[in-house]
This record gives sequence, C-alpha cells and structure tokens, in this order.
Amino acid sequence: MNHRKQPKLLGARVRRVEDPRFLMGKARYIEDIELPGVIDAAFVRSPFAHAEILSVDLSEALAAPGVIAALHGQDLLGRVKPTVCDAISDGWQSSEFPALAIDRVRYAGEAVAVIAADNRYVAEDGAALVDVDYRPLTPLASAEAALEPTAPLLHEGWKDNHFYRDRLAGGDPDHAFSIAHGILEFEVATHRHGGIPMEGRGCIASYDPIERVLTLWSATQIPHLIRSELAICLGLHENRVRVIAPDVGGGFGPKSHLNPEEVAVCLLAMDTRRPVRWIEDRREHMLACFHSREHYHKAKVAYAEDGRVLALSAEVTVDCGAYSVYPWTAALDPGMSLFIMPGPYRIRNFRCETSAVATNKCPYGAYRGVARSANCLTIERAMDAVADALGMDPVEVRLRNLIRSEEFPYTSVSGFVYDNASLIESLKQVCAEADYPGMRERQRIARGEGRLQGIGVVTFIEQTAPAVDEGAPINFRYDSAIVRLDPSGCATVQLGTHSHGQGHETTIAQIVADQLTIPMDRIRILYGDTQQTAQGIGTFASRTAVLAGGAAHNASGQVKDMLLERGAHLMEAAVEDVELVGGRVTVRGSGTRGLSLAGVARATYYHPELFPFGWSPLLEAAGTFDSGHGTYSNASQIVLVEVDPETGAVKILEYHIVEDCGRMINPTIVEGQIHGGVAQGIGGALYEELIYNDEGQLMTTSFMDYLIPGPTELPDFRVSHLETPSPTGPTGVKGVGEGGAVAPYAILAAAVQDAIRPIGNVFVNELPLTPERVLRFIDQAANGHG
Amino acid sequence: MKPAQFAYCAPRTLEEAISLLEEHGYDAKLLAGGQSLVPLMNLRLARPTVLVDINRLNELDFVESGVDVIRIGAMTRHHAVATSPEIREASPLLSHAAGHIGYRAIRHRGTMGGSLAHADPASELPCIAVTQGANIRVDGSTGGRTIRADELFLEQLTTALATDEIVTSATFPRIRSDEGWGFREFVRKVGDFAVVMAASVLRVVEGRVTAARLGLGGVEWTPRRVTEAEQVLVGSAVEPNAIEEAARVAAEVVDPISDIHGSADYRRRLVFAMARKALQDAVGRLEVSRG
Amino acid sequence: MVDVSRQGVEITLTVNGRKHRAQVEPRLLLADFLRRRLGLTGTHLGCEQGVCGSCTVVVNGETVRSCLLFAAQMDGYEVETIEGLSDDPDLLHPVQQAFWDHHGLQCGFCTPGMVLTARAFLEENPEPSTPEIREALAGNICRCTGYMFIVNAVKAAAETMARKVPDGKSS
Repeated sequence: MNHRKQPKLLGARVRRVEDPRFLMGKARYIEDIELPGVIDAAFVRSPFAHAEILSVDLSEALAAPGVIAALHGQDLLGRVKPTVCDAISDGWQSSEFPALAIDRVRYAGEAVAVIAADNRYVAEDGAALVDVDYRPLTPLASAEAALEPTAPLLHEGWKDNHFYRDRLAGGDPDHAFSIAHGILEFEVATHRHGGIPMEGRGCIASYDPIERVLTLWSATQIPHLIRSELAICLGLHENRVRVIAPDVGGGFGPKSHLNPEEVAVCLLAMDTRRPVRWIEDRREHMLACFHSREHYHKAKVAYAEDGRVLALSAEVTVDCGAYSVYPWTAALDPGMSLFIMPGPYRIRNFRCETSAVATNKCPYGAYRGVARSANCLTIERAMDAVADALGMDPVEVRLRNLIRSEEFPYTSVSGFVYDNASLIESLKQVCAEADYPGMRERQRIARGEGRLQGIGVVTFIEQTAPAVDEGAPINFRYDSAIVRLDPSGCATVQLGTHSHGQGHETTIAQIVADQLTIPMDRIRILYGDTQQTAQGIGTFASRTAVLAGGAAHNASGQVKDMLLERGAHLMEAAVEDVELVGGRVTVRGSGTRGLSLAGVARATYYHPELFPFGWSPLLEAAGTFDSGHGTYSNASQIVLVEVDPETGAVKILEYHIVEDCGRMINPTIVEGQIHGGVAQGIGGALYEELIYNDEGQLMTTSFMDYLIPGPTELPDFRVSHLETPSPTGPTGVKGVGEGGAVAPYAILAAAVQDAIRPIGNVFVNELPLTPERVLRFIDQAANGHG
Repeated sequence: MKPAQFAYCAPRTLEEAISLLEEHGYDAKLLAGGQSLVPLMNLRLARPTVLVDINRLNELDFVESGVDVIRIGAMTRHHAVATSPEIREASPLLSHAAGHIGYRAIRHRGTMGGSLAHADPASELPCIAVTQGANIRVDGSTGGRTIRADELFLEQLTTALATDEIVTSATFPRIRSDEGWGFREFVRKVGDFAVVMAASVLRVVEGRVTAARLGLGGVEWTPRRVTEAEQVLVGSAVEPNAIEEAARVAAEVVDPISDIHGSADYRRRLVFAMARKALQDAVGRLEVSRG
Repeated sequence: MVDVSRQGVEITLTVNGRKHRAQVEPRLLLADFLRRRLGLTGTHLGCEQGVCGSCTVVVNGETVRSCLLFAAQMDGYEVETIEGLSDDPDLLHPVQQAFWDHHGLQCGFCTPGMVLTARAFLEENPEPSTPEIREALAGNICRCTGYMFIVNAVKAAAETMARKVPDGKSS
C-alpha cells in the first residue's frame, strides 16, 4: 500500500477544534453581535406574584430622552398570539402565556411592558418611568396553597389549579403489597433551582420590511423550534423567519424554550424597523428564566425478605409555576416521572400518580436531566430504606434488584424498552475503583475518632436521545445533518442541533472524518442558523452525539457512496471493488494509488462530461437519524462525605463515577460532560435553591443569595468508563450530557444520612442539604425522630 | 442591570472631597473601592446623584506604625491590609481577616474606609474593628473627630458619620506578645459573605486570662463584642471548659437575625461553634508563640 | 475647583498597550466601555454583581471586576483584557494553551476571566498546590466544567511557565 490508513478518530482524545476563539476572547455570543442602528430593550416586570393590571401608562417613559419605543400587553392584542403549549392528555388544562402580561400577572418578574432605547442604560431609565397600576390578588406561592379548595383559579375556565394529572400502573401492585415482607413509606422534596448558565438569555431581532424577513439571533439551544413557534405567534410565513443561535454561553435546558421576551423584541423590531437587542441581566434571569426541579414525591415500597423490591407506588407533584412553556409543556417533569421512576431495578409492580400544579411562581422548564434527579432520589432512597430495614449493605440490596445484562432488551414495568446497559458491572466496577470495603473501613476509623463520615452509592439508567411518541406536542426523536463535499475535497457539515459547550465541532467532525477518511482539519461543522441547515430540533436531552452524530454519520456515508460510485466509474472498476482509504478511492487489492477524494470531487463538480448523463454533479447529502425509543446510558457513583456536626456543613471527600455511555466519540469530552453534570447535581443537592416567600416573592435574585458551587466546593472527580455500544444507532454512541447531574441528589442524601448514623437514625428526604437543614436532620437523629 | 445616572467628580485632596460632600449633602455618595456600592448601584438600589470618587486621594493610602497602635489610611486596599508585613506584624488578626474578604479581585479594589463606612454586618473589617476596639478617624467640614468602632455602627448599613464626613483612617491596637488571637467564619462557599464570624484576642499571664475580647459579625445588625462571654474568661485558667462556657454564654446572649442564609436559631449555634474555635485558636497561637 | 461632570468625563487610558482617549458618561461601566466602545467583547458580563468573575480584567497589574468599575475612573490607568494575551491561535499564552490542551473550557463564557485570574495567580505563585489553585479561582464561577480540568490546566500551565525562559513576551 502506498497510502496510509488514517487511524480511527471515533474514540480518540482529540483536542477541541473550537477552543481558540473562546480562549482568545473572540467568540461571538449574543451580546457580542453589533448590528448598525441597534437599540436596546429593557423589560418592566411585575413586582407582584399575582395581581390584576388596572392600567399601564407608557407616556412618561416614551417622553424620556433616548427612549424610542415602548409596548405593553394591550398593544399585543390582535397582533401577537400568546404561547399555548398543551400536552396531549385527558383533562389537560391549557394556559395562554402572553409575551407581555395583558390584564393579569401571574408571577413576580413576569414581563408587563418593554422599552426600547438608545442603549440599555437609557432603556432601564425608561422602564423605571412606566407607571403600572396593579390590584394585588391572593398569591399562590406553593402547590399546597394552589390546591386549597378556596384558592383562586389561576387561568380562565379552569376547574382547579392543575395543568395536568395522569397515572400509570403495571403489574399487580395491590397483590405485591399484600404479600410483602415489609412496606416502607416516605416522602421526598427537592426544591426549586435551575441551570443558571453563566451567560443569561438574550436576543436581537431585525426585520427587513422589503423582503418581509424577520431574523432573530437568540442565545438558544433550539433555533428551529423557536422559528416554528415565532411564526405562529407573529403570524408570519415560517420561510420568512430566520433564527440564528450564535455562540451560546451555556444552555443546560433553560435556553431550550421560546421566551416571551423574544416575541416582544421581535414585535419591537417590526414596529421600529430597527434591530432591537435584549440582553438579560442576572436579576431578571433569576426571576424569569424558567425554573426547574421542584418535585414532591410520596412513595410506598414493598420488599421481600431477601431485599428484592416487589412493588413501588408513588405520587408525584411538581410545582410548575404560572404557565405551560413551549415546547415542553407543564407535563414535562411530571409526565416523565411516570415512566422513569422504577429506574434500573427489576420492579414488576408499579403505580404512579402524577400532577403539574399551577402556582404564582416563575414557569417551569427543562433542566439537564429532566425529572431524572428527583426520581433517582426517590428510587434510590427506597433502596437505601430497604437496606436499612433489613440491615443489608446498600450495595448488596442494589445488586439484588438491578436488571442483569442478559435481560436486555428489557421492557420496564412502565413500558420503556431499555436497549442495553451494564448496571451490575458498573456498580461492581465503581466499588472496585473506590475500594468500597476499604472506604467502609476508613469510615469506621473516622467514626471512632468522632468524625461523621458517610458513604452514598447510586446506580441509574437514563434514556438519552429520547422519543416521546405520546403526549408531547413535538416528538423530538430525530435530528439532521447535511454533508457537503466541496471541489477541493473538504467537507462542510450543517447540523440541525446546536453546540454550546459540548464540543460538537470536534466530535461530529471525528465521526465524519472516519467516514470520509480525511483529516479533521478538512471538515467544518456549522450549526445554529435555520436558513443554512436542514430542519432540526436542537440540543438537549443528551441527544446530539446520538442523533446529529448519527445523522452526520448517515449523510457522510451517503457522500462516501457517491464518491465510491464516481471513483469506480472514473477508474472503470466495479463499485463493489472500490474502497475509500486514507482519503483515496482505490480498487481493493490492486496496489494502485487510486484517486484522491479531491480528484473525484473536482471531476464530479467540474467535469460532468466524465460521467453518464443524468448523474448528479453534487456531492452532498442530507441525513437524519431517528432514535426510535432512545438509547440508554447508565452509571454508578460512590461518594464519601464528612459532615461537620457543629455547622452542618457537608464536605465531599471522594467522588467516584463509572459511566457507560456506549461507544465514546471522545473520552475527554465525555469526562468533561460528566464532571459538569455532577457539579450541577452537587449544586442542586447542597447549595442551590430559588427561595420564594409566602407572598410569592423570589428571595434569591443574585449570586450572593443563590450559591453556585465554585472550585473550592467541588472535589476531584474520579471517572472511569464502561463501553456497551448502543444497538440503536450506527455509531454505538449513547448520550452523556445529562447523566452526571442525575445521581448527586440521591447519593448525597444517602451519604449525609449515613454520616449522621452514629448520632441516630434519620431519613434524609429534603434537598438542598444546606448546613441548616443538615443540622435539623442531626437534631432529629439525636432526638430519635428517625 | 445598569446604574442610574449620576454626576461624577474625582477630587485630588481631602479638602476638596469634603467640600463636595458638604455641597451635595444626602445626594452625594463617596466612591472608594466600590465593591459593595457599585453592585447596589447596578441594581439601582443605590442611586446617588453625585458620586465623589476618592480613589485619587493618595493621602489616604498609608500605613503608619506606632508603638502601641497601627494607623491605616482609609484608602488602603484589602489586599494590602492582608499582605502588608507591617500590618501583619502589628495585628495579624486584622490581616488574616482581611484575607477572607470576598475574592482576590475584590480585595484589590475594596478599601478599609469603604468597608467601615458601608457597615455591612457580615463584613470582616467592622467585626475586627469592634473586637480590637479600633478608633476611626473621620474628617468633615467642621473638622475631625475620632469615633470608637463600637459607636460607629448604628444599624445595618448605617454609621454615625454625618453626610459631610469621610472616614480617613482607622487605628488598631497592636496585638502584644502575651496575646493570642483567633478568627473564624462560617461561609457556605469560599469568598461568600459569612453567615457568622467570631474574632478573639486573649491576654494570658501565668496561665490565667487577664484580658479577653470576643467579637461577632453577621449575627446581629451590627458587629458586637460579647462582654458577658469575655467576663467568663477573665480570671479563669486557660482550659477547654472555660472556652466552651464562654462560647455558650455568647450564643445565649446574642439576638441573631434571621434570613435566607440562616435562621436565628441556626446563627446561635454557629456563634457557639465559631466563638469556641476562635477562642481555641487564640490559646493555640499563644502556646505556639511560647513553645 | 473640582469638575463635577454629569455628561461626559474625558479619559485617557491604555488598553492592551494601545492608548485611547474617550469621553464617557459617568455611569458607563468599564466592562461596557471595553465591549461597546472598544469592541473588546472577550470581557463578559455574567452577573454585574461582582460575584461571577466573568468580567475580570487586569488594571495596573491587578485583577479586578470590570462590572464594578466605571470607565470614568480609569483616566491614566492601564487595562489589559483577554485580547491582550495573544492574537495568534498558534502563539497562545501558556495558560490559554493549557486550557486548550486539558479541556479547561466548555461554553467558554467564563474562560477569559478564568484565564486572566489564573495567569495573575501563576505569576505570583509559580508552583501552586491543587488547593491553592482552587482557592485562587474561587472568585470565578464556571457552570460547565466542574473545575477539575481547569485546575489540571492551571497545574500544567505552571509547569510550562516554569520551563520557559522569561522573555517578557510569555507572561
């Protein structure tokens, strides 16, 4: 052979190709885009959680120097449709979410009016001059308050304050409970927090009245989905709406919604015929960027004498705030809970009731590991409770309940089809990595010295790149890629997804490089502009490596076939006899150098006469990949913590992770995703809480009140891998973006409870484990209230 | 958010600064390091109409060592307070505590005078000033005066300063060789505001405490000393029981605030923990210096 | 007589070695001045409350929050931003290079502040321990990485910088 075979890039620790622009301060985030004539918007937000709007007076603001335009809710009537995002479910109650509140505000921070001015400083001056007359109404600051029989109804025509209620059952839970060795009942609560990316939301809208084209640059994870709903809200043809997502400073879910602010900014741009920019500040981000994670679960578990869990019965309540948001609906978390709660365990009898409650709080949206962290908490707390009840080791009780590898594909009691996983293997491996027996021994010694050390262990399975065939307004089970080879033999790949930290410019290029056998620097990955890419869905739900990766694999495979066909024709060989190796089309076993990919490309584009009449002169293909049922990643984690009995502070001493996300495209990027996910999970478990008072006022509107863990709060993560290739896709890849964030709630609750054990038994069931809450659990343990 | 409009001036002398304050009264605000004021201005919670930037007053950036005291100019940055060998030698308690203020980038700008005048109950320097009994020099249009630290802080974010007065320096007593000191604070994350902090200075002669200072921050609306706890210690032998008892008394006599960072009950328990550790540290440092 | 200015304050300052004269409204934050007036958009605003560290720049050799300073205060000062470190992806500063080599960034929003903070720290403490690195970066929030690869990058940068002969260019 006189040409070198390129080593496989799938699986290689390739350094990220996108990094230089970020390292050099040359990335282009939304706030870095300067359009000529741009003006800045600032929103007037409701100071009340619940109030009637009696009047809005914009005149003083409009008269202020530098203020160019202003809108309030009434101005939208007849011009802009409110966002309505309904789950398809019996008894669903629909909410209309206006871009600007019209006659009633339903959460503190809801946008009431918007000012556009020369710059943001002046826009804020103008916003301060808007005179809104409110008549305060009873605030419903919790699900409990909203479900009181006397509570006012939050939306017109509703019967009660539920967006949604649903139930699911499988097996025969009643029978299982009746024959159980023991039954345990408990409740858990995870309070509100969110993704809180370092870059807030933001957008710039620009309208071309001649072409009648609206362009929206938005810091979003889902440009295509935004385009569809914007077109509906504004009554525009969708082919005249272009959404561009530039570099985005972190997504994590909070940037996967259509924001009411975006609709209002578009309208301002259409009215003023000037580009209008809105850059969210941190305070409005805390108040109005959709929150997550507020789950209340009641659970009942039946178990056998040998530790097997026979049945699980649960009630899930999610405080979904004021409106159902696009594109997820308020059924997002509670609906997901129905299916995922049994987790990685062989539970055959299951009953779950779930509900989404409307309250006077910020609407509820998607956040990394939607519903998973709370459900993992519940099922893992159940395992720990069974272990405690039987005096078993928490690892042992899990080993007895986990689905074994030979049982896959496994249809869960809730109807999910787990394609494959390495549950028991991952648990055994993490025990080995952490030297679990040795860790127990060290814990024993520490306890002897009066130190409160605790160990937590968790195994989970997670549906990645999911399909939602029932109930959701949009089924996001596929994504797309266009691969285009240019005459020089370089490839341009346009993805339907978006990259905002995940490194897709690298990982997708790795996949395409293997297919086309060309170096990565000949591949360019583009995304984020609806005018340039095929219809896509976006980046969330651990889906892009699987779906856009699968789509890019498929599309580049088609291009490869075209090259082979054309190369074979040029060499007068049969297409079955040629192969693509090292960037050349060669005749198998001929020993000749064959034709370079660039040569074939150039011939195809510039010498169509060399080919039979009618052959396409284009070397490009659009590919999609549909996950069908999604594909399942799994992991096991072990943590060692120490609790300070005086202050309640929790310190993480060791954190071990064994992750199986199928075939890894780039292990370094996989590890980065895991670290980041675990870090956010730890944040939610120990530090982060969006606290509302009884009046529905958010008390945590700054980073001084809402604590995001820093480098001194987080440990070194010890990550190792298992690779069980996905049987679902062409690459064997499973998703990994969210996994890290799933387990920390459960594992830290278990570890803190274990740490407190020498003081007494207590059931840790409320997060985040702030030092004060931990002291409360310690007090309960000391007083024998466990 | 962005700050509201204001007029700006950057006087070059103390005299000019005072006359600007006199002229603009309540509408004016001094800008020293700005690390507390500017966040409030960005949120439009503070809306001064005239901002008098005193960062050009080099005359207020000094450290002056005396026999029994050290005088520190108001414009001395926290980072300088934390790292100046002169200050460390005179009051290691003060430099240690200054190193706990915010983050490094904050300490590069924040100033001694600004921190004292801002009077945040959870900030380190007011707590140390009260604990050590610092004297705060202020100058105004009618002349200067010296205010005892415990009389400077009236309530949260409120001091005894008149609108035309500027903190110009703070004088801290030197920590003597027969004194040990301790400083502990409970923060939920490094660099964050302390929920509770305790500072201590113990003088020990022949194994007995002859003088004690125990100060607390973050507990009540102003930093305070806990004389009841100090009395427990004075005259007693240096032993764990006495320290524990003093910390217990401190936790008993305080009237803690309650907010999202901690309930009054929780703060009370932190007072015990932090006071005990700060006192233990003081004893420990004495033993080290003797050993 | 002290000039009390409502409208514009005349300032002359040096940014990344270049002298600029400008008239600024008193309330204009340094971060906005750098971003909007000079087009140096590598300085990011993540909170405007002095907590997140994304807006960290270097003023007269010291790291500061550019969201807590007014441009009007900067007359006569020297400011350095991330853009001042390197304008050639093949000639990155060792800290930038180490962040690249060790996957010390994901979305990149906190990265300029993180890199400037780490560089200042390493200049002062060329052989740091892991806890010292974590402590030094405590005022810079990263929401993506969980910090471990950032810490590894800073360690690696320390090693590179120790190997480098100081030539005035590499730091």
